[in-house]
Amino acid sequence: MLVLDRIAKRYGPVTAVRNVTLQVRRGECLGLLGPNGAGKSTTIGMMVGWIKPDSGTVLLDGSPPDRTETRRLLGVAPQALSLYEELTARENLRFFGQLYDLRGEPLRERMAWCLKLAGLEDRADDRVQTYSGGMKRRLNIAVALIHQPKLLLLDEPTVGVDPQSRNHIFDWIEQLQSQGMTIVYTTHYMEEAQRLCDRVAIIDHGELLAIDPVPELLARHGGLSVIVGQIEHVPADMDLPGAVTDAGWRLEAAEPFESLTQLTHRGVRFRSVQIAGPDLETVFLKLTGRGLRD
Amino acid sequence: MKLWYLAVKDLRLLLRDRMGAFFVIGFPVLLGLFFGVIFRGPAAGGGSSAKIDIVVVDQDATPQSQRLFAELQNNGSLRVDTADAEQARRSVRRGERAGMIVIPAGFGAAAGLPWEPQPEIQIGVDPSKGAEGAMLEGMLMQAVATLVGERFQNPKEFLSSLDRAQQSLASADDVSPATRLLVATFLQQVQRVIQAADELQTSRDGQEHRQHFQLNLANIRKIDIIDDAAPSSLAGQLQKVRSPWDISFPQAMMWGIMGCVAGFSMSIARERSRGTLLRLRAAPLSKSQILIGKALACFLACLLVMFMMTVLGVALGMHPLSFAKLAAAGLATSFCFVGIMMTMAVLGKTEESVAGTGWAANIVMAMFGGGMVPVMFMPGFVQTLSRFSPIYWSIRGIEGAIWRDFSWSELLPAVAVLVLIGLMGTGVGAFVLHRHRD
Ligand SMILES: Nc1ncnc2c1ncn2[C@@H]1O[C@H](COP(=O)(O)OP(=O)(O)OP(=O)(O)O)[C@@H](O)[C@H]1O
Ligand SMILES: [Mg+2]
Repeated sequence: MLVLDRIAKRYGPVTAVRNVTLQVRRGECLGLLGPNGAGKSTTIGMMVGWIKPDSGTVLLDGSPPDRTETRRLLGVAPQALSLYEELTARENLRFFGQLYDLRGEPLRERMAWCLKLAGLEDRADDRVQTYSGGMKRRLNIAVALIHQPKLLLLDEPTVGVDPQSRNHIFDWIEQLQSQGMTIVYTTHYMEEAQRLCDRVAIIDHGELLAIDPVPELLARHGGLSVIVGQIEHVPADMDLPGAVTDAGWRLEAAEPFESLTQLTHRGVRFRSVQIAGPDLETVFLKLTGRGLRD
Repeated sequence: MKLWYLAVKDLRLLLRDRMGAFFVIGFPVLLGLFFGVIFRGPAAGGGSSAKIDIVVVDQDATPQSQRLFAELQNNGSLRVDTADAEQARRSVRRGERAGMIVIPAGFGAAAGLPWEPQPEIQIGVDPSKGAEGAMLEGMLMQAVATLVGERFQNPKEFLSSLDRAQQSLASADDVSPATRLLVATFLQQVQRVIQAADELQTSRDGQEHRQHFQLNLANIRKIDIIDDAAPSSLAGQLQKVRSPWDISFPQAMMWGIMGCVAGFSMSIARERSRGTLLRLRAAPLSKSQILIGKALACFLACLLVMFMMTVLGVALGMHPLSFAKLAAAGLATSFCFVGIMMTMAVLGKTEESVAGTGWAANIVMAMFGGGMVPVMFMPGFVQTLSRFSPIYWSIRGIEGAIWRDFSWSELLPAVAVLVLIGLMGTGVGAFVLHRHRD
């Protein structure tokens, strides 16, 4: 569907994107996961044709995205809110719909659909400037869907959205995907990537470090599970594996249940135990040597 | 079709923006009315400074007719007596008086009520004193208008209402520093214009006219004042002016158009900062379409301003000599300022910088081009400089159509200059914007 071939973009001394090659497959949800400044938005910009790559090519269904007709396939929700604040939600949707040659009844239907999706039916005729941040955010995504694009690019769509609306947005994305829409979703929240995306591309300092389905990323780069707990009793003659600190006991293990069973067998008693499997945070840590939030 | 949607969106945004709409609509209307009142004096005055002897026949004898009589007496150019109709006629025939005025019975009952049939006020004039007769008619109209429109008598009232507008603007929290500066500059200019108008008046006829708001509510015909001043002299030019709005409305139109230029030149920067430019660029639109859409919106807004001001002017008593020529001048002016808008739009990156340079350029163009003080009232060397301001050519074209009585070939240079500036401006704007990569 969308092919990036060794694209690169520099801003003066900063290399925002460094030779990224990837393919977005039809019908999948691809996550771009990386910390602030990783180059996610720059990559999206090059996918849409807003930013011309210094080198490399972008092909959307075989043609460059700055071709007017190619852009019809594309719906984008930019990271920054991009709405006419003096217009109402309905007027924003109508205007952008008109740009995609929607008219009359089909346009009205699409507008109603988008308003419902954004949960803005009762505020549809208020100016956008009177909306809350979350409402604007939802409209920002809905406007990208007015013309039923084949490929939807969402750049951090959930920033500043309350947990309930966020879940609501996740529900739509899953629904859209089940209807066959291809989605590219950038985020720095690994939980989002883990929940929504079929494949996740991990990006840091403009470089694509890995791209795979989540289970494979975890298996390949996730490393060991971590057990933390409070110990009640250890037999006197026993050498307890792992480390004991003020916070409690901590052990890394490939097979956490196995290890715990063995320890109980040998007479160790626990007051509490928690097991954390490997997650994308650990994957990221493994790949870059630092945490996602650093 | 998409261009149309782009333009409609922009016009809607302009009207939704309180400041933008004020500069495009409210400001020009205020300005047109205000300067119309200011120029009422010099524009409508006659040439002679000798007093005219007249006799008034009051057949009405109501407080209103007495007020009219007093108003005529107050006029420094008239020496007024009363008599009955027969005596009056005799004294005019003998040449003792230049003219007579008969206030008919029923005048008081209908005065100032435009929906009432107005009884005819008769003017009898000594035929050998034609010019004085015409002046007399003008003064009578003034006097009637004063009676009717006393509320508007005092331009200071206008000034203070502008002041109030300005105060409410200043206390509005969404007013940018550039706007504050502009309003301050404007008020200074207003003061200067009042002074200029005052000086002009006293230097022309050495006596004080009261400035009146003229309303065509009385049943009197107006006759042009003919005298032998050279056509290019100030007095000669002013002879052709048939209504104070002839001068103030072309100016006011220019301010409305400058409001459009400022508003739309900012709007490209605003689309950039609001991120909506990204959406436009993601839509199936070419860069040229985005630009042409902006230009079209600005063009339509300029035409709208001119149309609105023309309608208002005509309602107030401005009579353009040729609507076709006015349309030609309006189209050329709008095109010219679309070009200027496109150039200004690319001069700055941010809304603030565009607004700042935009209004600064506007004010300079207006100052030299006759947007503040009409060019014909300027000293000679400044008049030469004026030729470099597009405002000059616009006003020339518009005035040519409204009262200067230009032929098409006289109108052509102004139209040609405007179209040329428009082409250059559009070219520069399009070129620079196309070179910007993002
Ligand atoms: N217009 C620009 N001019 C200069 N540098 C830029 C520009 N846009 C991006 N950059 C730089 O490119 C790098 C990547 O930026 P980008 O916006 O793509 O990051 P991101 O992954 O989207 O980050 P975030 O999660 O904060 O949105 C950053 O170092 C940024 O400073
Ligand atoms: Mg970003």
